[in-house]
Amino acid sequence: MAVSTIYSTQALNSTHFLTSSSSSKQVFFYRRHQPQTNRSFNTTITCAAQQTVVIGLAADSGCGKSTFMRRLTSVFGGAAEPPKGGNPDSNTLISDMTTVICLDDYHSLDRTGRKEKGVTALDPRANDFDLMYEQVKALKSGIAVEKPIYNHVTGLLDAPELIQPPKILVIEGLHPMFDERVRDLLDFSIYLDISNEVKFAWKIQRDMAERGHSLESIKASIEARKPDFDAFIDPQKQYADAVIEVLPTQLIPDDNEGKVLRVRLIMKEGVQYFSPVYLFDEGSTISWIPCGRKLTCSYPGIKFNYSPDSYFDHEVSVVEMDGQFDRLDELIYVESHLSNLSTKFYGEVTQQMLKHADFPGSNNGTGLFQTIVGLKIRDLYEQLIANKATAPAETAKA
Amino acid sequence: MMSTTASHGRAMMLPSPTKALQHHRPSILTVSDMFHVRRTEPRRFRLVVTATAKYKGTKMREEKLSEMIEEKVKEATEVCEAEDRSEEECRVAWDEVEEVSQAKADLRIKLKLLNQDPLESFCQENPETDECRIYEE
Repeated sequence: MAVSTIYSTQALNSTHFLTSSSSSKQVFFYRRHQPQTNRSFNTTITCAAQQTVVIGLAADSGCGKSTFMRRLTSVFGGAAEPPKGGNPDSNTLISDMTTVICLDDYHSLDRTGRKEKGVTALDPRANDFDLMYEQVKALKSGIAVEKPIYNHVTGLLDAPELIQPPKILVIEGLHPMFDERVRDLLDFSIYLDISNEVKFAWKIQRDMAERGHSLESIKASIEARKPDFDAFIDPQKQYADAVIEVLPTQLIPDDNEGKVLRVRLIMKEGVQYFSPVYLFDEGSTISWIPCGRKLTCSYPGIKFNYSPDSYFDHEVSVVEMDGQFDRLDELIYVESHLSNLSTKFYGEVTQQMLKHADFPGSNNGTGLFQTIVGLKIRDLYEQLIANKATAPAETAKA
Repeated sequence: MMSTTASHGRAMMLPSPTKALQHHRPSILTVSDMFHVRRTEPRRFRLVVTATAKYKGTKMREEKLSEMIEEKVKEATEVCEAEDRSEEECRVAWDEVEEVSQAKADLRIKLKLLNQDPLESFCQENPETDECRIYEE
């Protein structure tokens, strides 16, 4: 029995991408309207097997790395937005090329259920890894899924939403690399490692404006969360291809406000399609202070480090930035000295940073390395696609 | 009206309750200063921004989350101080606080930084519902 789906589309006046959810044979019917000229033009329809690239992003406080995600997806163009016309409490973000799924949607226990069982959301027992694996696998193979929605406001599991397989799927949350089967589906993984001091400073910034919170409650919340975090979330960092480590600065003695940050981008060596960023000379150890005769920086300045290292028995390369950007020319100066950025043109990193100049981290290593990781993912995606493209099918011309 | 202390871009400072708007700029260049930087006192200013909800439903949601934070902090404090406290109950209680605090913060970010009201697309389709009344302070 033959099964077919008929799609209709608008006029194809320019290069157009039509994606379908299967990689089977497709027949294209089209009618060409052309002005009465003697011009002939080509119509080329290329069929490429749907290739979904899956990226995992692990961070505490699960999803809601909204600004990180927007930096990542912005590299591909287009703004990531919640699905239109669906549940307003959906955690999903969709842009032209990417779909971001929040792994909290795979909670097997809702807030009441967790209370009854005495488990936090960090505990694997509160999450359905079987479903997570099945659905990520399906999306990766180009099959749409009905994914549950966990509502963070009500604490309940809402009716599922339909997710179409995207070109790039990002799964973000507490446990993207916890389950081995899910880990094997990831083409690239990132772990956002915030040190305790910085976490404390950020949570103060986040919560102090709330009338329910006080310094004590914020402290107590972090302390109570630690045992589960250390047991279940932290160990995932050994599996990550890239770790962004955020620490307090070393440039200001006794700084505990957490505004000036020391950020380290730890990149695993030997990962397919991923070439680590380096400074000046790959594999060597460099300490670099860009501020000097050519560049005047304001206090506390900027300091870079680059070196090979070992991280959980893996060989890694580490680029580290301590300090803050104060002006545009500092940013472009730094960019011009970094290598292997996977940019398409000179100044692309700076341009991306400027696009989101009001996001937190835009003036320090967090924004810089998040942007760079976004470019690396684009590079990885393009390499993967180039490797898997099938032969184009060309059609008749006038 | 909800007001938050915001930190935008470069001015990432914690609110300093004792100082108001301040702008110091002593320029000290010392010989031993290997940075060759002009030492300036970091600018301190406090930006108070109102996160604006567009629709009534979102405003209600903001307030609900604020209430929930208050409630759950109280609950967690009680549970953890109780005589017969259980480790798990205490952790779960603070985890709930974290969950709603983060939900509130996410909503704030969406409204303030991204200018997206979560009810936007729902309200385009259903402008007559109570939730979709335009919120006016």
